[in-house]
Amino acid sequence: MPLDKQLDLLQGTIDMLILKAVSLGPLHGYGVLLRIQQISQDHLEIQQGSLYPALYRLEHQGWISSEWGESENKRKAKYYHLTAAGKRRLQTETDKWNRMAEVITGILRTTPEDV
Amino acid sequence: MSLWTGLHFLLSGVLHRSRAEAEMDQELRFHIEAYAEDLSRKGVPREEALRQAQLEFGGVERTKEECRDQQSLRFLEVLFQDLRYAARSLRKAPGFTSVAVLTLALGIGVNTAIFSLVSGLLLRPLPYPNPQQLVSVTGAYPKGAFVAMREQIHTMDGATYSEGHEVNLAGQGEPVRLACTLVSAELLSILGARPELGRTFYPGEDRPGQDNYVILSHALWEKQFASDPSIIGRSIELEGLSREVVGVMPAHFAFPSTKTQLWLPLHNDPRSSVAYWAGDFMPVIGRLHQGSTLQQARMDIRMFQSRVGALFPWPMPANWNANGSVLELQNGMVANMRARLLMLLGAVLLVLLIACANVANLTLSRGVTREKEIALRAALGAGSRRIITQLLTESILLSTMGGLVGLLFAIKGLSLLKTVLPADTPLLPDVRLDWRVLAFTGALAVLTGFVFGLAPALRSSRISLMESLRSGGRGAAASVSHRLRSSLVIAEIAFAVLLVIAAGLLIRSFWAMSHVNPGFHSESILTARITPNESFCSDPARCLAFYRELLSQVQSSPGVSGATLINTLPLGGRLTKRNMDVEDYLGPRDQSSPLFWLNMVTPDYFHVMSISFLAGQPFTEANVSDNPPVAVVSATTARRYWPNQNAVGKHIRLLGDKEWHTVIGVISDVRAYDIQRSEPEWIEGTVYIPYSPNATLEDGRVPAEMTVAMKTTLDESQMGTMLRRVVAVLNQEVPVSEVKTMHTVISEAVSTPASTTSLFVAFAALALILGMIGTYGVLAFLVAKRTQEIGIRVALGAKRRDVLWLVMKEGARFTIAGIALGLSGAFLVTRLLASELYGVSPLDPVTYLGVALLMAVVTLLACYVPTRRAMNVDPLIALRHE
Repeated sequence: MPLDKQLDLLQGTIDMLILKAVSLGPLHGYGVLLRIQQISQDHLEIQQGSLYPALYRLEHQGWISSEWGESENKRKAKYYHLTAAGKRRLQTETDKWNRMAEVITGILRTTPEDV
Repeated sequence: MSLWTGLHFLLSGVLHRSRAEAEMDQELRFHIEAYAEDLSRKGVPREEALRQAQLEFGGVERTKEECRDQQSLRFLEVLFQDLRYAARSLRKAPGFTSVAVLTLALGIGVNTAIFSLVSGLLLRPLPYPNPQQLVSVTGAYPKGAFVAMREQIHTMDGATYSEGHEVNLAGQGEPVRLACTLVSAELLSILGARPELGRTFYPGEDRPGQDNYVILSHALWEKQFASDPSIIGRSIELEGLSREVVGVMPAHFAFPSTKTQLWLPLHNDPRSSVAYWAGDFMPVIGRLHQGSTLQQARMDIRMFQSRVGALFPWPMPANWNANGSVLELQNGMVANMRARLLMLLGAVLLVLLIACANVANLTLSRGVTREKEIALRAALGAGSRRIITQLLTESILLSTMGGLVGLLFAIKGLSLLKTVLPADTPLLPDVRLDWRVLAFTGALAVLTGFVFGLAPALRSSRISLMESLRSGGRGAAASVSHRLRSSLVIAEIAFAVLLVIAAGLLIRSFWAMSHVNPGFHSESILTARITPNESFCSDPARCLAFYRELLSQVQSSPGVSGATLINTLPLGGRLTKRNMDVEDYLGPRDQSSPLFWLNMVTPDYFHVMSISFLAGQPFTEANVSDNPPVAVVSATTARRYWPNQNAVGKHIRLLGDKEWHTVIGVISDVRAYDIQRSEPEWIEGTVYIPYSPNATLEDGRVPAEMTVAMKTTLDESQMGTMLRRVVAVLNQEVPVSEVKTMHTVISEAVSTPASTTSLFVAFAALALILGMIGTYGVLAFLVAKRTQEIGIRVALGAKRRDVLWLVMKEGARFTIAGIALGLSGAFLVTRLLASELYGVSPLDPVTYLGVALLMAVVTLLACYVPTRRAMNVDPLIALRHE
């Protein structure tokens, strides 16, 4: 995997990313990993070991749920999909993130004249 | 989390744990395989692809463990798992487990026992309805002042009582002397106490002419009246008067203490103004009215206090009860117990700390041998938090078992405590192991587990994995935890030193008390109380004739070489007070007649009791009917009123009498009030006058109750039989009671210090033993770990002396540190004991030095076995050990 153009994942953002990935359609764990890499154009990489505890946590909190299904190559795999609660959660997380990003960008754009 | 998902996880997480595990396994395997397939699609060879996928994924077991941790019911599962594991590993080490459980049980047991006292006496609400309304007024009031208070105070209903009275019960077989408490009519109803049979007193039944009633205690009803329910309404003969029994109190009712056998109404007669205004000074209790606060009651009492002085028929000192206040009844009743109880609690907490240090040490030693096991668990994916939780679970399981066994100790200990403590301790019969105590024990057990388990657990979790596995469980953690272990032993020794010093001081103080010269000889003196009815002595001639005949018969009995009478035996717990006029004495203006302790004796008294004269001479038979009458005073009294003069020849007079008594002798002081004092602070002199028609009490009567003191070779039971026979012939209605040796009288006077001392000695002994075990444990462990090193040293030519030094040096190091620490701790803390000490300073150098030496010897003893083992190390065997 390409390492040079990767960004470090901000703390606490993994939950949001998983929820987003799953909101686009049911995925198994490995699929979540691939989808995040794909939509981030390989800029983000999730530690494989930390993915599953996050999945279990989200499921436990009721934001995603899982069921066993068949993978692309005809194998049994556990698929995660977004619940209604998860949908609301993703919305609030997204709003929060956007507000935060706006504020931080504003701060970083500040020039001496603005002050 | 909704209820449904919660249930879902409960079901899938706990009930179908194996299925969930299998699914987790399958899911992760799918991930790795899918990744490997992707890799091989990119051209990596199949074998290599799988290897790479596994490597990049990282620890599967660790991930699983982290996944499991995400589920909230997980902690229960972990707890059960840890408990099972802990139980298994404790079962595998029965020696360690039993020593640890026993040690903890001792520590927790003594704490539970003492705490149940604290709980029963200080914390638990009084056993009466709405106890928060019950209050006690500070100070003490005579009947007149109480009656005025009852009328003038509007924030509460007041009641008063006077403990320690006695009456004769006749007409029920042999006459008996009973302890009674005089109460104002409302006392029992204010407390809210319900009778078992009949009723309590009605208001007004403490007025003269309406007070011919009595209420029995359950125990007395059982013993003297065979639990006969028809007793209610019947009359019994008390002190020559017939009184109607109106009620029987239930067995658990003990106010003011279990000593009381019956309750009589106070005789509030304003016509006898001396008894009414100066007789008994009694405590006042009350029940706050609905809506009144303690604060309001205090204001009320302060107002009353400013008016009450003027009601007395004579001027009262302005500062009398000036700081009158109102306390919660519970605080008022146990105020003098509080300090002693908290002191005991402090002592047992020290014992528990020592036990904790001991078990922590044991656990640490075990931790070193378990290093490998823990390292293995870490290698298999257990995080350090997980390992700490597991080890703590084990400690808490251990301390819980200790707590359970400790509870058994506590039950035994509590019944022992109840026999050691003075019987008139208020509320003592109510002390028991209740839910409050059980909760305390439970919390204590868990806390204890934390205290002794945390340090070892933290240590173990920090063990470096590689080093441990490599060194095969012998060494990696040893050096660091050795420091921890030594500090634990040092703390243990220090705590033990502290407790032993406290015990030592109390022992020395107790010794000083028991060897104080009381001013009389108690050797072969027997005493007994002879108590005719008061009315019997309203004719002084009849009374004196009775006693004269009694004495002459006793004196002529075989085995008796002397007999005498006194109204208040030294250390007997009774005191007769009277105001006296003193010739040439000009006291403060408002108290021209100081209050004296009035002793009335037969002429032989000073001789029989071997009391020495500093000046003048004892009474003779001729003095008894002398006119003018005579008196003897104590040395302190003579010094106080006639400093630098000869007291003999001075005059003194009972307030209200016409005749002056001439002082004919001065005796050395007698410890009569308690073993430390000849008189209480509020008494201003001690005088002896012959028991004669002139010897009158405040109410003008000659005292009826006397104590006979005999020099004899007989024992108590022989003497009791003889006395009862003699008395019965003279007067069938006079009981003989309290037949005991003067030695017993003295030891009863020091029973409170004796109980404190014996408890402290027991705790100190416990601390000493635990400290010794701790020292032994650490040294033995040290030697075992260094067997190889010692072997090498011996092989290289070290002498047995060098080996001895090697081990002893270690032992001496923490012994000295512990003793030094303990001594300085004692230096700071023992002043808390000051009020309990007599004749010894809290910084008594002899005790400190003695305890330091004792501790050194004890720890040396503890070092002996491990040292010998080290000295006998055979280098060949030790090296082959590897």
